[in-house]
Order: sequence, then structure tokens, then C-alpha cells
Amino acid sequence: MTMTDTELMLVDKPENRKTPGSEGRGRFRSVITNPVVVMGIVTTAILFVLVVVPLMGLVGTTLSSEGIEAWQKVLASRLSPNLFWEPLANSLTIGAATAIGSVLLGGFMAWLVVMTDAPFRKTIAALATLPFAFPSFALALAWETVFRNDLLGGRVGIVQDLGIAVPDWLAWGGVPISATLIAHYYSLTFTLVAAGLATVNGSLTEAGEMAGASKGRVARSIALPIVLPSILSGAMLAFAEGVSNFASPALLGLPVRYHSLSTRLYGAIDTGNTERGFVLSILLIGIAALVLFLSTRMAGGRRSYATITGKGGRRYIIHLKAWRWPLFGIAGILALATTIIPGLVLFISSFARHSNSLTGGFTTHFWVGESDPKIAQGQPGIFHNPQVIEAVWTTVGLGLAVAVCATLLGFATGYVISRLRGAKALTGMLNILSFLPFLIPGVALGAAFIAMFGKPIGPIPALYGTFAILVIAGAAYTLPFASQSGRASIGQISGDLEEAAVMTGASLVRRLVRVVIPLSARGLFAGGVLVFVKMVRDLSLVVLLVTPATPLLSVMTYQYASEGFAQFATAITVIIAVISITATLLARRLENAAQPWSESS
Amino acid sequence: MRTHCSVYRKTRSVVVMTAIAGLLLAGCSSAAPEKSAADEKLDSLSFEELKEQAIEEGSVVVYSFTSRIAAIEAAFEEEYPEIDLIAHDISATKQVARLKAEADAGTASADVAYIADAPIVIRDLVEPGILQQYLPPRIADVLPDEYESPLVANRLSTKVLLYNEEANPDGSPVSNLWELTDKEWKGRVVIVDPNVRGDYLDLMTEVVLRSDEFDEAYTELYGKHLTLEDGVENAGEQWIKDLYNNGLILVDGTDAVNAAVGAKGQEEPPIGFSSYSDLRDNDEEGWALQVAQDVSPGPGIAYPAYLGLVNGAKHPAAARLFIDFAMGDESETGGPGYAPLYVPGDYPTRTDITPPEGAVSLEDLGAWIIDPAETIKIRSDVADFLITLQ
Repeated sequence: MTMTDTELMLVDKPENRKTPGSEGRGRFRSVITNPVVVMGIVTTAILFVLVVVPLMGLVGTTLSSEGIEAWQKVLASRLSPNLFWEPLANSLTIGAATAIGSVLLGGFMAWLVVMTDAPFRKTIAALATLPFAFPSFALALAWETVFRNDLLGGRVGIVQDLGIAVPDWLAWGGVPISATLIAHYYSLTFTLVAAGLATVNGSLTEAGEMAGASKGRVARSIALPIVLPSILSGAMLAFAEGVSNFASPALLGLPVRYHSLSTRLYGAIDTGNTERGFVLSILLIGIAALVLFLSTRMAGGRRSYATITGKGGRRYIIHLKAWRWPLFGIAGILALATTIIPGLVLFISSFARHSNSLTGGFTTHFWVGESDPKIAQGQPGIFHNPQVIEAVWTTVGLGLAVAVCATLLGFATGYVISRLRGAKALTGMLNILSFLPFLIPGVALGAAFIAMFGKPIGPIPALYGTFAILVIAGAAYTLPFASQSGRASIGQISGDLEEAAVMTGASLVRRLVRVVIPLSARGLFAGGVLVFVKMVRDLSLVVLLVTPATPLLSVMTYQYASEGFAQFATAITVIIAVISITATLLARRLENAAQPWSESS
Repeated sequence: MRTHCSVYRKTRSVVVMTAIAGLLLAGCSSAAPEKSAADEKLDSLSFEELKEQAIEEGSVVVYSFTSRIAAIEAAFEEEYPEIDLIAHDISATKQVARLKAEADAGTASADVAYIADAPIVIRDLVEPGILQQYLPPRIADVLPDEYESPLVANRLSTKVLLYNEEANPDGSPVSNLWELTDKEWKGRVVIVDPNVRGDYLDLMTEVVLRSDEFDEAYTELYGKHLTLEDGVENAGEQWIKDLYNNGLILVDGTDAVNAAVGAKGQEEPPIGFSSYSDLRDNDEEGWALQVAQDVSPGPGIAYPAYLGLVNGAKHPAAARLFIDFAMGDESETGGPGYAPLYVPGDYPTRTDITPPEGAVSLEDLGAWIIDPAETIKIRSDVADFLITLQ
């Protein structure tokens, strides 16, 4: 039975009365008493508060007289080319390169790990999930350590040190920015595509082969459509992260005056031109939403990707034969270059006597030193700093709370979108709402939340300065991750399973708890870990929301860095990375049983 | 003796006008609009009375743009053990955004803001009445008028021309800023992107404000009059344009400038604008930074760090006591409240504190002290002009 039949079944349940009048092509009817519809409406209402209200605040600000002037300056003035159009082109290039590169790299790794008999698959899988746990500036920093040339003066990177001249295009600008972003975000696409590929059922592909299809044909016509939703999800996340990332373009782009919309936007806000910053972010949101819309349309041809069915499945393996070791070699080098190398650079530079230099001697002061007036203006090492210790717990607590909230919301969103295809307006709205927070710059979202929850609303007291506002804002901010993984994991559960439950008279809640959640748990869990990691290292959202009562590690990193204490900043970054990596690895351990490629073979 | 202006307006609609008028009135310290009777009463308390009330309040929350607030906190709590100081280290830009949002929401959580970015602070925080001035009675006589209003300032920081002393042992390789637009310095001048960082935008704005001096400096160097290009309105803009066209390198933070200019072992190091007080990191970082003296028309800017009272503060007396403390005492080095800020290259505003040794005096340095009220008038136009250059 296909998905659409399932929906009819759901709608046609005896307790639901059909209403006259149909929507779309007349095949789908939604009834207000249908619990899925109710769930959809409730979810939409929550997303409305979390996403639309802050967005309206942003738009509202740009409608003042200064705002109107900002619109005109950005779009139609002598500034427009340098302020908007060129940065826009750069941002789209970076975003597209990040999306394509991440899909190719992450997809390749996922294929190797899940579908083949390559050696050390477990190790590669573990490594490939790690880059996301590093802060993106760590990769930019690592790139500089290796490829920096003499454009700026000061110290040069390793390659130039060896006497090989590094051209500007390799040291600065679009190429290194895209490369470092791909190195960072391919782990997102890897995680999503691997989860998707793991559901490719051996019996499907075998059926194809028995019907005489070539390996290529099987891959193209059977495997690819099944993983397409996760590939698209991954590509969209990578695109959005690419266009909104600030650290890489600021570090690697500015010296050659390569501006992106994100550097222009942060620059406008940081030099006191808030309205202009908001105008730029609205444009960024609009353009990225358009890209999202077009790519959804592109993939709109196929509707059902159900692969978790009531029938048993076997893993499908491609035997690589002579290619086993060469392919492993490629994957291994890529994985090392994006994890161990930046990790080492980060770790070692926290011991450097001189900031950002690995040649000036080393000290453990920044980790375990007591206060010494001669070093770092008397600041003690971070293990002697009670604030850091406190911040560790607050940060972990925040990550967990946000992960739970966002995952629940993401699950609800994903469920409604994949089970309520009839109500196009509702699902379309959910689809876009759940993706938009990605494109709202964190600083702007944070300011909007202060404005919204700063004063009491009805029974809700003023939340400013509380842990709760951090959690709510965090849930809104990370919703795109949670809902993409929610959609991807629910989209793969065949409707016939739920249908069987419906036949036995199970209510919506019972179906969710007994059937859908257990089957989608792995994907949801993976999404939850992404949310956790994102939240633990995010700075831009929380920087306006934290108060002394809620110290966070990322904010401390930022404060140290802006004061010129680079080693303290890197040391705390290492702690953040350790927390993120531990979470990622722990999560992998917990899901081990369910991951086909982790089975010892 | 100073004279207090006590013209306070009642309605909010005239607040901004009042503030601007206040700024324009020389010697008048009433740029801060609208003070309540309670505030006026607190302002007039003697130190002993203030201390008593502050101890009753028991705590004070401070937003600070420098992490050295941690050391000031320790000193404050030693001096006043009954009062708990809760310090929050947060950059000037973020403070502005946050104080604005908090004021909109009616939930002021800080009592005092220690903040740079003077031009923006005046426009976005002082004029709307979010921050107000408090001049501790004890220091009224030792603080020059320009650092009393619209907020009190306890020190000046700089963004001035720094060079590599190892490669240039005989002093600054540049004696006129116009040299930076010559072939010799092509691609060898580093600054933080003024379209990303406010203090560098203030520097560029000052250059435009000093156009006449740049005009003279041009004649001084080349012996002929400067001719302006199309679309350039004055000598300051022309210098900026020539500098950008001469391969000016933009980076994202002062440390990147310091490392590029200061790193030892360079044959042809670049030159750049950064904080004079960063010279204190020379030993620790292995840099050879030195400040360029006797540069025509000037080496850069000096700008104030403000202490402002947050309107609606929950601890108004303790807030005032903190400002009194952070303004330092009458000892030569400013006492425990100012000690953490007492570093060469930063300049105390109090006339009775001796500037730290190891740095040339502000006079000898010749840096332009910015006038935030003038800066803000053309600041965003300068930012727009810079954008067209890239």
C-alpha cells in the first residue's frame, strides 16, 4: 500500500466524519477532528511564536524611517554593488560550494561505510562525524597554519615555510572559505546520508539485480531515490550553514576583501547600523528561502521514500575487491585532514607561549597555571578558574535541554509534514517555518527574543536572564536540524506499519509511542546530538541572552579572544570540542546495536 | 569651578533635542536627559552618605567591555566587602544591543555600563535616556570638562600607527601618513576592517574630520597642492581612497594587525593601526611593536571609555559608588580601583593621576582625541564611502 492510501485510511478512521468539499486534486480530505491535523495546528502555532514573531520584529525594525533608508541604500544606491550584490554572489557561491562539496564528500564516506566492505569502516564512520563538533574557526585556523602566505606579513604557514610559494587564491578568499566550510559540514551530510543508506533494503536491490539491472542502474534507480531525501536535507543544511557562517569569511576572506553577506551583516550591526544589518538579514532569509523552495520543488516528483517496512530486511553490500584499500586510503586521508589535523592545531596552540604561533615555545600555564602577574595579566589557567568549571555544567545542561525540546518539536514537525500531505498549506508552512531560523542571524534572533520575552506576557513572567529563555531561543535556533532529521527519519517509515496499528484501533498517541517513535528513534537521536553539539558551541545566539547567572563556555571563549588571550580561548574551545566529541561518540555507542555497519563482520 | 546646568525636560519627545542641545552647550554637563528627583538626590549625596546607602543595597551589576573588570571586581570587594559586585564582560557593541533591548522590555538588569564606542553610545544610549551621567562629587575638580559629559570617562585608549622596531631600529619608517599611499607601502598597510569594527570606523571618520590637516600634510610631503578626484569631497577622503587603492589589507581583529606588524624576523614588515597599550604584549608574544611618533598630520586617535548609570538601575547608590571607585583615587597611580587599567599606552583622564611610565605622553604622541558628538554626525557617511572603495 502506498503512502497516500495510508493517509486516506488515517482520515477515514471510523471516529472521524468525512467533511464535504475536498482540497487539491480531490484525493485528500482533512478533517478538523483528525488528531494529526490538530497536532499540525498546534505545532504550527508553536513555530509561529518561535519563528514568525521574532521575524516580524526584524521586519518591523526595517520599516522605520531609518529602515526605509537602509532598504534604499542596500538595494538602490552607489553602495549596492559592494554592499549587497557582490557579497550576495559570494555568499551564494560559498553556499552552493559547501552544499555540493558536503554532499559529495559526506555521500562518498557514507556510501563507503554503509554499502561496502571497505576496511576500518567503523573508524572512518567515527571520524567522519567529528568535524561538526569543532568550531568552524578551528578549521579556518588550521588552514591558515598550513597555507598562510606573506600577503599580510607576520608569520607564514607551513607550506610557505618550506619554501613553496602559496598563491593568494589558495591562501585567501573563496577557495579556502569553501574548503574549510566543506571540511566542517560534510559530517552533517555524512550523518544524514549514512542513516538514509542504512535503510536501503537488500531485498529491494536484489530484486533489481535479478531483473537484470546493472550495479549502476541499481544505484541510480533504487538506492539513490531512497537516500535522496537525506541528501537533500544534508545539502540544504550545508547550504544554509555556508551562507550564514561568519568566522571563515572573516578570517580568510577579509585580507583580499572578499565579502559575504554574513560579514556585511555582522559588520553593519557591529558598527551601529542595526537597520542595515536587519535589511541584509531579511534579504538573506528571502534568498535562502527561495533556494529551499526551488530545491523542494525539484525533488517534488517523488512522494514516498518509505523503506522501513513491516518486512524484514538485510544489509546490501557492494564488494569492492581491488578497490578496497585505495578507496579506504582516500577516505582515511580526508577524515584525518578534517579531524585530527585541526584538532591538533587547536590543542597545541592552547599550549603555545605566543598566541597563534607554534614556533615560540610552549607552556601549560593556560590550562593549569596559578595566577602569575607576568603571564596573561595575572589570569590563572582555566582549571583554576571556578567560572569555567561552572560554565561547563551550564553549557552541558543547556545543550541537553535544547536537544530535548528541539527534537520533540522536530519530530512533531516531521510527522505532520510526512503524514498530512493533503493539507498542502499547512505542511508547506511548517516546512518553511522550520527551516527559516537557520537564516536568521543569531545576534538578531537573540535581540528579538529579549524584546519578546523580556516583559511578562499574560501568565508568562519576564524570562530575560533566566535559563528558560536560553532554552526557548535555542530550540527555535536549532529547529532546522531537528526538523530535517525528524522529516528524514519519519519519511522512511512505511505507512503500512501505522496502518496496521490503526486497524487495531490504536489512537494517535499510542501509534506514535508504540510504532513511530521507536522506529524513528535512531534518526531522531542523531538529530538530537547535532542539536546538542550545535548549541554547545554556538555563540551568536546566546551572546545577548546570557547573564552572569548563566555563564556559557562559548561566551567565555569569545571574551578571552576579544581581549587577546588567544590561548585561553583555544583551551576553552578544546573543552567545548571534547564535550561535543564525547557526545557524538557516546551517541554512536548507544545506537551501535541499530547500525548495520557497526556490526562486527 | 564648574557650573551645573539643571535644565531637565519632562516629556520624552523632547529628550533627543535636549540631549543634542546639551551636547552643544559648552561647559554644560546636562547632556543626560530627564533625571528623576530620586536620581538628583542620589547625585548630590556626599561620599559617606552614598556608601551607607550602597551597603544597604548590598550588590551592584556591571557590564564591562574589558575583561580587566575581574581585577576591578576583586579590588572593589576588598574595599567594600559588604557589597557584591557582579561583573559581566561583554563587548561595547553587544552592550549597546543588550541595553537597548533591556530598556525596551523594561527589565534593566545592569546598574553600570563600562563601555567604549563613544559615538554610538551617545546616539543610542545617552540620547534616549538609557544611560545617564553621574559625576562623583569627589572628583569634580580633577576631571577636565570634556571627560565629564555626556558620561564620565576614566581613561583614553588609542588606535595609532604601529611599526616593527626590529626592522626599523632608527625610529618610525614613516613620518607622513601620505607616504602610506606611495608605492613603497603598497600592500604593506594593515588595519581592521572599519566596516566591521566601530573603533576603526571612528579612526577613518576622524581622518575625514581632519581634512584640512591632511591637505597641509600633502603639501608638506610633495610640495604641491592636492587635487581631489571625482567623487571625493575632501583631503581626508582622498587619503582613504588612495590608501585602499594602494592594496590596504583588512583583517578581522587587532591581534591579526599586531601579529602581522610586530612578528620578529621579518625583512619588510607591514605597518598598521592598533592599540598603543598592546605594546605590553611584546615580550609575551614575541613582537617588536613600537608606536610611530612625529607623524604628520597625526598618528591616529584617542577615545574615551565611559562609565554610565543605567536608567532604572536596581542598585542606584551602589552603582554610583562603583563609578566613584572606578574613577580612581587621588594617589599617583589612581589607587586600587584604577590599578588594573594603569598600563602604558592608555591615558587616565584625571589630572591628578600620573600617566604610566613606558609610554610617551598623550601630548607627545599627538593622537587626535575624538569628539564623539562630531564623529557621529558623519560616521555613517564615512562608512558608506568606505564600502564604495572595496
